[in-house]
Amino acid sequence: MTTKAKSYALNIIALIILFALLFSLTASGSINNYYSGILVTVGISIIMTVSLNLTTGLLGQLALGHAGFMSIGAYTSAIITRNLQGIPFGWSLLIGLIAGGLFAAVCGFIIGMPALRLKGDYLAIITLGFGEIIRVVIENTSITGGAAGLTRITRMSRAFSPDAQLSSAVQMGIVFWIMVAVIASIFTLGRSRHGRAIISIRENEVAAEATGIPTTRYKLLAFTLAAFFAGIAGGLYAHQTGILTARYFDFNKSIEYLVMVVLGGMGSITGSILAASVLVALPEVLRGFASWRMVLYSLALITMMIFRPMGLLGTWEFSLSRAWQCTGDFLKRTFMRKERKPKLPFVPHYDVWEDAPVLETHDLGIVFGGLVAAENINIRLMNNEIVGLIGPNGAGKTTVFNLLTGVYSPTSGDIILLGKSIAGKPTHEITNNGIGRTFQNIRLFKSMTVLENIKVAFHTRMHYSPASGIFRTAQYTSEERGMDIRARELLRVFDMEDVADANANSLPYGKQRKLEICRALASNPKVLLLDEPAAGMNPIETQELMETIRIIRTRFSVAILLIEHDMRLVMGICERIYVINYGREIAEGPPDVIANNPDVITAYLGIPEDVHEERAQHAEN
Amino acid sequence: MILFLNQLINGLHVGSIYALIALGYTMVYGIIKLINFAHGDILMIGAYTIVVTISFMGWPIAVAIIVSILACVLFGVVIERFAYKPLRSSPKISSLITAIGVSMLLQNGAQLIFSPNPKPFPILLNAPPLNLGPLQISFTTILTFAVAIISMISLQGFVSTFKMGKAMRAVSEDMDAAQLMGINANHTITATFAIGCGLAGVGALLYCMAYPTVSPTLGSLPGIKAFIAAVLGGIGIMPGAMLGGFILGIAESLTKGYISSQLSDAVVYGILIIVLLFKPAGLLGKSVSEKV
Repeated sequence: MTTKAKSYALNIIALIILFALLFSLTASGSINNYYSGILVTVGISIIMTVSLNLTTGLLGQLALGHAGFMSIGAYTSAIITRNLQGIPFGWSLLIGLIAGGLFAAVCGFIIGMPALRLKGDYLAIITLGFGEIIRVVIENTSITGGAAGLTRITRMSRAFSPDAQLSSAVQMGIVFWIMVAVIASIFTLGRSRHGRAIISIRENEVAAEATGIPTTRYKLLAFTLAAFFAGIAGGLYAHQTGILTARYFDFNKSIEYLVMVVLGGMGSITGSILAASVLVALPEVLRGFASWRMVLYSLALITMMIFRPMGLLGTWEFSLSRAWQCTGDFLKRTFMRKERKPKLPFVPHYDVWEDAPVLETHDLGIVFGGLVAAENINIRLMNNEIVGLIGPNGAGKTTVFNLLTGVYSPTSGDIILLGKSIAGKPTHEITNNGIGRTFQNIRLFKSMTVLENIKVAFHTRMHYSPASGIFRTAQYTSEERGMDIRARELLRVFDMEDVADANANSLPYGKQRKLEICRALASNPKVLLLDEPAAGMNPIETQELMETIRIIRTRFSVAILLIEHDMRLVMGICERIYVINYGREIAEGPPDVIANNPDVITAYLGIPEDVHEERAQHAEN
Repeated sequence: MILFLNQLINGLHVGSIYALIALGYTMVYGIIKLINFAHGDILMIGAYTIVVTISFMGWPIAVAIIVSILACVLFGVVIERFAYKPLRSSPKISSLITAIGVSMLLQNGAQLIFSPNPKPFPILLNAPPLNLGPLQISFTTILTFAVAIISMISLQGFVSTFKMGKAMRAVSEDMDAAQLMGINANHTITATFAIGCGLAGVGALLYCMAYPTVSPTLGSLPGIKAFIAAVLGGIGIMPGAMLGGFILGIAESLTKGYISSQLSDAVVYGILIIVLLFKPAGLLGKSVSEKV
């Protein structure tokens, strides 16, 4: 905790020094009104860029309507300060900014609900559409001044003090501290369980859902929050320029901010700050080149993208405390904070009766269009049992897994987990009710660390709110510590503690598979579904895997259902086996019975020629 | 009724231009999955080439038209080679930003050379309108429609019968697999850009005959409209781009005729949003859910 406290102290001291410097230089006139105006524009652009980075960088969804939310905030706050003449300007500005942010957030929520069902370029174009509609609506409404826009909005640089220079300094101060607050909120949010949930959606949406993250809710949260901050930025802009026209907020403006996000590096907040500063300042620096400046600007943009396609900083973040440590540990341990007791993720209690199955399906089936992918599947899993699900390629094994985990909704039949029907429920709810799974093609949250991958799975069993994540309350600290402890414990079981802080992507293949199993176990399932866990493993690794599966069964007291083509593994550890072919169950029983079942042999090897002929003759007679 | 028919004809006129430009958008998207934001600006290049060759140098119209289409093709190919090719293996969004950069470069370059002031587009033909009872159809409208339809049919024919056309379809389906079959993906992509930008050149001609002023930002509006048309029909699908273009043109001109010209943009975006909400991959697109 002391290092954390130290880093807070460092950052706050640095901010105060920076603020004092800027404030005094502006107040004294060393930074004249022109330059302080540019600095304020930089500040507003940073708020816009960092907030857009929340949707585009952290959530990974391309949104092209960010300027629309800015305009909502701008107009809302301008109309409010105009109509609240009775109270001091400072207060009406505060009310205006907050109201602008809130109204933008409401619009973001309303737009996000339908729009976020789309992905990629389609989401981009639909958000662009909404942004433009916002603009047209503003242009055709009388309260917003129509196409002519609003003029004579009280300007911050005039309102606070009769001395123009001092008033500019106050304006800069306001924008500076709001900017700091926005950056800090998004930074801390990104490092809370909510931030991890958002990032896990970017990394792999299917896996996030299967790890228990309610993905729709988190997409909406990120989108709404970004709209809120954009609304605040809009309010600042309105009171900086004093004039608003809807045309200013067209899709080119949204694109401008998107450029800043991507140029800085998607997901890097430091990068966003840097890119916003550079791209706002660059045209001013190039002013000397007169008509050439925009040409140079666009050339610079193209060149930067070609040579740094991941953005200037990638996902790297600047950390003052790290920089500080690099130059030597000057700061003594001055702050001693009481260690708060870590709150561990609770272990869900599952009611399991001796003879009742933990998972049971009744005539489960699904039809895609006219194709029957699975029908009349009756699987029964007892507590602590290891059961195999085998069948030739294309038999419908993974389809059964997808049905069990809610990736597909069954068109017939029912699934009973611990006595409750879960058929048709969303994946994340099923996960939280006790089914964990792995995927045939590994789906890790690749650019997150091993530890973070596991922590995503603890998400739903922790309680602190987004707000307490942003403000890092005591609840946040104790729960985060609890997750850390549990996650490391879990990794220790699998001998992976040494790679806890490595990127999931950098692990060798076998360990990636293990990590996926680990993550599934972290959601504390009662039933674990393993989809071809031995795929791509050599015989020795497969042997190890068999051991691991046995350990999992006893240690975590789960029932395991596994799909596998490696018959040595299946026959070696499964107590019972279900065989399916063409979407139907064709056999069930212990390994030795299955191995000699003629139907199963036929399914795998086809009908021997002589039998085939015999049958044909039989049919003719 | 007359008003309706007139607006419908206007809609078909504008719609066929949108459809032509949208085709280029869709072809490029289909093959490298890039929203080529600079596509509209290629239009502007074509328009300025005509202004320069006819108004300043006095070349014959036919030569000027060919030169302008060639200029569009050349720009398209050069842009692909120098700006997009280095980023082919980078994340899609990086290429998107580069495309935005290219668009800004073209606009600002044009502004530098030709000044921001709009220039008149020369009158290319002066034929009497066709009178069908109370309806008057201008010759330009007929020509535009005919050119657009002929281009689309020949493009469809090219893509389905010619070797290069089939290569384009193969590369847009799966670039790696196409290369393993011996297709030179780079050449195919270049050819796609050439054809798409050539269509933009034709589009520029038709667009400027309808709205005869040329300015550096000429391309951005038809560019974004064509992009919307492409998405509306299902981006990457050629018949979809045509369908989208016509729907957009007709919706726009009917709104202008019956409601208000200020709201025509809102209606266009509204249609787009509604279509995407019900058919997330566009009218003719099939939404493919991720295989788990």
